[in-house]
Amino acid sequence: MGESPFLLIAATSAVAGLVAGFVMHRSDFCVTAMFRDLFLLRDFFLLRMLVLLVVVSAPAFELGRAAGLLGPYPFPLLGPGSLATLIGGVLFGIGMVLAGGCVVGTLYKLGAGSVVAAVAFLGLLAGSALYAEWHPWWSAFARATAFGPAITLPQWLNVAPAALVLPLAALGALGALYLYRSQRRGLLTRPGYATGHIPPWQAALILAALGFVSWLFIGMPLGITTSYAKLGATLEALVWPEHVAGLAYFQAQGLNYTPPFANTPVSGGAGPQLDAIAAIQYPLIIGIILGAAVSALLVKEWRLHWRIPPRHYASALLGGMLLGAAARMVPGCNIWHLWGGVPILAVQSLLFLLGILPGAWIGSRLLVRFVIR
Amino acid sequence: MEKVNSIHLDISGQICPSCLLLTLKELNQHAAAVREGNTEIVVTTDDRQATATIPDAVSKMGYVAEVSRVDAGYRIRVSAKR
Repeated sequence: MGESPFLLIAATSAVAGLVAGFVMHRSDFCVTAMFRDLFLLRDFFLLRMLVLLVVVSAPAFELGRAAGLLGPYPFPLLGPGSLATLIGGVLFGIGMVLAGGCVVGTLYKLGAGSVVAAVAFLGLLAGSALYAEWHPWWSAFARATAFGPAITLPQWLNVAPAALVLPLAALGALGALYLYRSQRRGLLTRPGYATGHIPPWQAALILAALGFVSWLFIGMPLGITTSYAKLGATLEALVWPEHVAGLAYFQAQGLNYTPPFANTPVSGGAGPQLDAIAAIQYPLIIGIILGAAVSALLVKEWRLHWRIPPRHYASALLGGMLLGAAARMVPGCNIWHLWGGVPILAVQSLLFLLGILPGAWIGSRLLVRFVIR
Repeated sequence: MEKVNSIHLDISGQICPSCLLLTLKELNQHAAAVREGNTEIVVTTDDRQATATIPDAVSKMGYVAEVSRVDAGYRIRVSAKR
């Protein structure tokens, strides 16, 4: 740390986190709710916001790449798709519904004073760190079931990068048509009565812009889950340092790249050390929590509510653990894959999306059966 | 004037979408009374999302919801359409 590339990276992350936390709290931009309410309530309203985010990001990323603004391409930390990603996606979907929020949703709810989200956060740390125990055989399984070395769909289909532009342009055109029709039918707005409410469609556009800015300055879109393992490892190392030092997962340096405005490569991994992963992700995590806290304080809604049925705490803890472990098994979270990977048609991200759908359905069934009664 | 019976629910701090689901459950249990206009359901919550989803859901079922601000949260009053 301390070298110049880290300053720009950390500053960009912190600002993106503050804005994202504030906006997500005000609009209740909950990705978990988007998938959960689809199954639980047959409500497509929030899912439309996710579609909006993706169809805006896809052409924006493609134009940015073509103009030489966004690099590296594909961005680092994406791997080839495998059966492991699909299974991880299913577990992720179950975990996020039971936890009451995804890895990012938990942060903004925690920032706004939700005690049950704080419990889910602890579960996330525990689950992420626990994954290191079975990482060697899980990564062997992922390698054995990989669908080839391709990172993105165009690479997999072996088409020239230019051919990527056409489907994306089509997606963009469809998106524009979809937007226009949805707006006319009133499908993009719904009356919001909460103080300082930001309509989710505006939040989707702001979050798409943040993803672009993140890729521009940091070299990749928003992502945070490696840091859950890192933070978990840091805490685990306080009580069990030899064990943490002996785990292969905490030794690996999965990130090796040269950031956009740097001359020298940087690296980072899930171990407790302060490295490039810490510089990218810790400020984002802290930013989201603080941004949401500021938002809640400004509308005078910051209040701890902890007198809730104990089964809610159990659900948040177990769901959080499952979510944390699943995020490492994929690897990556919904923000990373749905807001970053799907717009560039990353194979891993598309498989994750395929897994999260049945996962959210199972999670919804479990939630109404055992938790919300 | 006829006295309106109020059923109060306090759903703060729970896992989403508790607020919406428990409100709908209560509403279904007292559907006839609410429809006749002599019962209303009053929910107190800190769930910002519910201030949008509850009015949306109950209006589709033929009821009305009024949202008002209370200390650090919201009160959502569900009653028959007048």
